[in-house]
Amino acid sequence: MTMLQHAILVLLLPLASAAVIALLLRRAGGAAAFVSTATATAIAMIAVILAVHGDRFEAAMEWLRLGGFRLTLGIKFDDLAALMLCIVGVVGLCVHVFSLGYMKEDGAKARYFGGLSIFMFSMIGIVLADNLFMIFIFWELVGFSSWVLINHFHEKQSASEAAKKAFIVNRVGDFGFLLGIIMCWWVNGTVNFSALAHAHAFSTAIPLLLFCGAVGKSAQLPLQVWLPDAMEGPTPVSALIHAATMVAAGIFMLCRIEPLMVPEALNVILWVGAATALYAALCAITQRDIKKVLAYSTLSQLGYMVAAFGLGSIATEHEGKAVLVAAGVGAAMFHLTTHAFFKALLFLGSGSVIHGCHHEQDIFKMGGLRKKMPLTFVTFTIGVFAIAGLPFITAGFYSKDAILHLAQEKNTAVFAILVFTAVLTSFYMFRMWKLVFLGTPRSDEAAHAHEGGPSLTLPLVVLAILSLVGGYTTHEGTGLIYGDRFKGVLSLIPHAEGWSVVAMSLGILAVGAGAALLLYKSGPVDSLAARLPAVFLGLHLVKESFDTAYNYYVAKIQQRFALLLGALDDILIAGVIVRGCATVAELFGLGARALHTGSLHTYVWWFLGGAAALWAFAAGWFH
Amino acid sequence: MPFLSDHLLLLSILAPLLAGVAVALAPKAAAKPLACAGFGVPLLLALHAWWYFDVVPHDHGYAFLTAYPTGLTGLGIALKLGLNGLALPLYVMAAVVGLAAGLYALQSGAERLQGYLALLLVMHAGLMGVFASVDVFFFYFFHELALIPTFIMVGMWGGRDRHYAAMKMTIYLTLGAMLSLLGLIALYAKSGANSFDLIALRETLAAKPLDGAWQHRIFGLLLFGLGTLVSLWPLHTWAPLGYAAAPSSAAMLHAGVLKKFGLYGLLQVALPLLPLGAAEWALPLAWLAVAGNVLVIGFVAMAQRDLKQLVGFSSVMHMGYAFLGVACVAAAPASGAGQAAAGGAVLLMVAHGLSVALLFLLSTSIWHRTRTFDLDAMGGLAQKTPVLAAFFVAATFASIGLPGFANFWGELVIFVAAWKFSPLLTALAVAGVVISAIYGLRAAAKVFFGSPTGAFATVAAAHPPADLRWAEKIPALLLLAALLFIGFWPRAISGPLNAAVTTLYPAAAAVAAVPAPAARP
Repeated sequence: MTMLQHAILVLLLPLASAAVIALLLRRAGGAAAFVSTATATAIAMIAVILAVHGDRFEAAMEWLRLGGFRLTLGIKFDDLAALMLCIVGVVGLCVHVFSLGYMKEDGAKARYFGGLSIFMFSMIGIVLADNLFMIFIFWELVGFSSWVLINHFHEKQSASEAAKKAFIVNRVGDFGFLLGIIMCWWVNGTVNFSALAHAHAFSTAIPLLLFCGAVGKSAQLPLQVWLPDAMEGPTPVSALIHAATMVAAGIFMLCRIEPLMVPEALNVILWVGAATALYAALCAITQRDIKKVLAYSTLSQLGYMVAAFGLGSIATEHEGKAVLVAAGVGAAMFHLTTHAFFKALLFLGSGSVIHGCHHEQDIFKMGGLRKKMPLTFVTFTIGVFAIAGLPFITAGFYSKDAILHLAQEKNTAVFAILVFTAVLTSFYMFRMWKLVFLGTPRSDEAAHAHEGGPSLTLPLVVLAILSLVGGYTTHEGTGLIYGDRFKGVLSLIPHAEGWSVVAMSLGILAVGAGAALLLYKSGPVDSLAARLPAVFLGLHLVKESFDTAYNYYVAKIQQRFALLLGALDDILIAGVIVRGCATVAELFGLGARALHTGSLHTYVWWFLGGAAALWAFAAGWFH
Repeated sequence: MPFLSDHLLLLSILAPLLAGVAVALAPKAAAKPLACAGFGVPLLLALHAWWYFDVVPHDHGYAFLTAYPTGLTGLGIALKLGLNGLALPLYVMAAVVGLAAGLYALQSGAERLQGYLALLLVMHAGLMGVFASVDVFFFYFFHELALIPTFIMVGMWGGRDRHYAAMKMTIYLTLGAMLSLLGLIALYAKSGANSFDLIALRETLAAKPLDGAWQHRIFGLLLFGLGTLVSLWPLHTWAPLGYAAAPSSAAMLHAGVLKKFGLYGLLQVALPLLPLGAAEWALPLAWLAVAGNVLVIGFVAMAQRDLKQLVGFSSVMHMGYAFLGVACVAAAPASGAGQAAAGGAVLLMVAHGLSVALLFLLSTSIWHRTRTFDLDAMGGLAQKTPVLAAFFVAATFASIGLPGFANFWGELVIFVAAWKFSPLLTALAVAGVVISAIYGLRAAAKVFFGSPTGAFATVAAAHPPADLRWAEKIPALLLLAALLFIGFWPRAISGPLNAAVTTLYPAAAAVAAVPAPAARP
């Protein structure tokens, strides 16, 4: 089989799996789980084969042609796609295996695993797409899979609301995205990534409109509101879709359209990303739900990636010549990679905790799990250190430092924001870590917590290892896991030199973690709320502000406007205008009746008039 | 089978018509098999036509072209049947929706079932005839043949407010049809072709176009006449009311197929023959379509509490996209964008026909389980009827334009083409995709998710609703499969369609519309 056939196979396998589950295995949850997991295994294997084999290729075929419109579907398999495909494959497999244990008792296993398969199909479609229309198609489809999976516990009102909200908010972003694609098509005559990189017209509107898509999918301000709610979905789904892969698709898409970027657009992207990073980190501090902490942390890290992309290129010397390196792409994709590993690890770890604590999600009702769930404790701790950026041994250190280094070079204000965000990150992560694992159990559920089976722990171990070694991208370290396979992306990563970086990272970690460990007591109440109620309330209001504003808009403005238009439609058009026409018709009727006088004399005159009119018409007087 | 090929289109009209008569007269036991045949045969013939469309000989772009004398030769009227690439997708769609509606009617257990089935079959014959006619007179005649049974079915088998709804529908649609007839007759009279044959009209008017003033007048008549039939804002108020009252199979056939008559007439007859007149109407039409149908009706749909009314309003809203496509053709027929818009409009018409029929079908199935259309008095139905929920969710996502369903292609192509016409209008139209997501998902959530609300909680507890039966599932599957098939494989219809739009609207200077891209600064 050629590599192209491998790529087509990796795209179509999960679709086939979803189709088989939907058509045949609706009542056979176990078989559905097997089919879906076997498919995920095959995907991961083919992804690695494709990456290692080293072939990079492009192929496309026409799918629809109508008049001047031509749409092709194609595969662009370069280093960027290879890297992303490996992430999706590996994390996807971990999540499938974890789900085998986590969803064992679920009544709608077939729907769940079918949803995972349709998600894998849609996500791989985004990764392999060679043009903007195709990416949009799969973009919508991941939105649909996300809806299905958030809606999994559909008997819960909150889950149903959250799924709806996620889809609609994403559609708001896609509104701009689609307009951007259409504009790009007319302005540049193509939407193919390679052709666009080759030549395109100068435009600020196109990249900004396309960025709207990323704002929705990657939950950037002001469309971030759907992601915390999406935690209503099963925890493995949160790990796969709402942390590691789908929400990162926005950053992936930005990297695809990097050639279209202009400084003004990059500046907007930079500030949106930085603002999201900071805002979400502030929100995370007051959360009580273990998954919500992680959700806000995901938002914050996505903001980091978007900001990294927005920082743009840097000029470096290469063999005596000055060249522009798309360092933003390198830093963003690098952080996307390591984040996929450690955030999937943290989410699955939280899933293990929730599973162990019999579906308790409040961190103030946990505590002391260090002894009850040792393996989860160790792997979760690795995840916490990775996100906080412990130097040298964790992957997060390298990727976060690449971003901070780039920010230092390009924009001091953003650098300051990102450093402060990093401090907040280690603060809220260690807060959660302490409350969950240290101290003594604060509820019956926590007291009777237990480690899950191998399907729950094995993915944690794999992801923990990746969270440790995933940062070694260069040969100066050990090119241990990447080799030269992804050079097209990884060679773009900006590298900081000297010990100042390490010192800064240690400082960030020490300040954030130290403050959290000192401030928070292993008790049932939030220590911040107890000691600094004003700060706590302020943070709480910051978090609530967007939802309050949007809820106000939806309930008080949009719905009322809709009701008003509905009433107008009823009264004005159905009532006045139509009734009015009816009245006019009645008047005509009255008039016509008046003509029917019953007098032969009158009729003869009418007849004469009609004949004259006909004659005039025939003679062409009215022409 | 030369006989079959020669008379395929006529057979597809006669089969349901004769079956209709037979069903009305036959003994009760024979009625159902006869009706099955009457609904099934057109689909088999339509699939045959679709499969061999590229193979059989074409004459003026028409396949299966045959003329049957009517004795009205002096007036230039003959029963001339044929399919071009524009008609073919709609013809096949009509056959699919017809079978689905028929099968759904067979299991409906309606009172006086024979009469109901007979009227549906006559309506179906009219529908097949509309898209198979090359003669404008018969094009109109078949529309009326389908329309009259609709009124009777709404009035006799309808639900709440059926008499008022039937009256209102009759007034509106008859007025719309009369305006259209006036336009068609004017076209006939002014063209000098002395024939209702569309091919002859095209050739005559290509050689000697009408002057601009008359084109303007006639196109205006046709636009508002046909527009009323397609619920162009603000002439739409008959639609939600009528559909809410209509029995489900009649609503499926009318909203799904018959309503497309107006748009089809504009694309097949009015636009190619009256390009100058159309151009002057393009801008007002586009604004009515986007501001009226898409935005205003979109918001009105959001405010609905009644499931069937909601489906009706959503159907009115989606017609706005098709009208936007028509406006783009009107603005620049002889361009790549204009051709694309025409193709997109047809794609959307086909897709919408399938999806709205599916939604009406499922709404009725929901009603049989909840005994209400009130969205605020349902909830949690998915726990009892997961298959029904899956179908409804699929239909909802199809109608809000999710890729993988046919509707996506229609909307996408229209949006792309519309940008060339007006970026502002495109942006407003694209905003509609957010609106339709809001009301579509809201409806799905209110019916199926969460926990049962109101009186339905006690009803559902006492009589747990059963899931979709096979008799309901088969017609639903038929429609869903068609939506998915075109969604995944749009080329199934875009090949002939593209050939048709490029011939009907020949581009003056082929491509060349795209400026050469500048180098990266």
